Amino acid sequence: MNPKRCAACRYLRRRCPKDCVFSPYFPPNNPEKFACVHRIYGAGNVSKMLQQLPVQTRAEAVESLCFEATCRIEDPVYGCVGMISLLQTQIQKTKNLLARTQAEITVAQIKHSQNQHSEFM
Amino acid sequence: MGGPGSSPCASCKLLRRRCAKDCVFAPYFPPDDPHKFAIVHKVFGASNVSKMLQELPVHQRADAVNSLVFEANARARDPVYGCVGAISFLQNQVSQLQMQLAVAQTEILCIQMQHETTLQSHHQVLELDQDDKALLPHSSNNNINNCNNSYNLGYAMSSGQLMSNFASPSSIMQMQMQDPLKQESLWT
Repeated sequence: MNPKRCAACRYLRRRCPKDCVFSPYFPPNNPEKFACVHRIYGAGNVSKMLQQLPVQTRAEAVESLCFEATCRIEDPVYGCVGMISLLQTQIQKTKNLLARTQAEITVAQIKHSQNQHSEFM
Repeated sequence: MGGPGSSPCASCKLLRRRCAKDCVFAPYFPPDDPHKFAIVHKVFGASNVSKMLQELPVHQRADAVNSLVFEANARARDPVYGCVGAISFLQNQVSQLQMQLAVAQTEILCIQMQHETTLQSHHQVLELDQDDKALLPHSSNNNINNCNNSYNLGYAMSSGQLMSNFASPSSIMQMQMQDPLKQESLWT
C-alpha cells in the first residue's frame, strides 16, 4: 500500500488518488481528525460538502467540521449548540450587569450634582 | 408513529421505505415537516443520525434532534463555518459587552472618588478659619486628575483586552473546549 495515503484513504482502506479531495486537509500523521469527522458526518457527506466549496475555503470548512464533530462526540445531545447557549446566557447576564451599572452611574451623577448645588446655596 | 394504515414519518417518506412501528425517526420527524429531516439528512446522513439517536436514552433524543437540526441549518446557511460562525459572533459580542462593562465600572469608581473628595474638602473647609482657607492645597483637583487618568487607563486596558479577545472562527476552532451548559435550551 502507498505509505503516502492521506488519513482519510487510510481509514477507508482505499487508494489515495492524486486529486483526492481529502488529502490536503487530512494528513496521515493525524488519523483522529478524519475519524472524528467521519463518525459524525460520514466520508461521503464531507466529500460532497468540500466539492461544493471553492478550494480556498475548504481548509476552514474542514476545521469547522472537525470542531463541530468534536463537540458532538463530547456532548452527544447538544454538540456545539451547548456552547452557543452558554454564550447567549453570558451575553444576557453581562447586558443586565451593564444596565445596572449604568443606572448606578446616573444615580451617582445626580447625587453628586445635588451635593454641589447645595454647597453653593 | 409509523405503521400499517398511518402516514409514514418524514424520514421514511424521503428514504422511500416502509415506516416501521418502532421507527427511530418517527417521533421526531413528523410527516408535516419534510424540510427538517431533509436538512439533517443532507448534512449528517440518515444512518449517522439513526446511530446517534440509538446511542442516546429516549428522553434525550428530542433535544439531540433539535440541536442536529440547528447545526444542519447553520451549515446550510454558512457552508464554510456553520455553527462556528455563530460562536465567533457571540464571543465577539461578549468581548464588547465586557469592555463596556469595564468602562462603566471605572466611571462609577471615578464618580465615587470625586464624591468622597468633595465631601472631604467640604469638611476641611468647615473646620478651618477664614484666614486658613488661603493656605489650602489644591488636593481636590489632583484627585480628579488622577481619577481621569485611571479612567483612561481602564479604557485602554479594556480596548487591549478587546483586541486580544477578538474571536475569529479560526481562533475559535483552536481554543480548548469547555463543558457546555447542558441545562440551557435554545428552543424552550
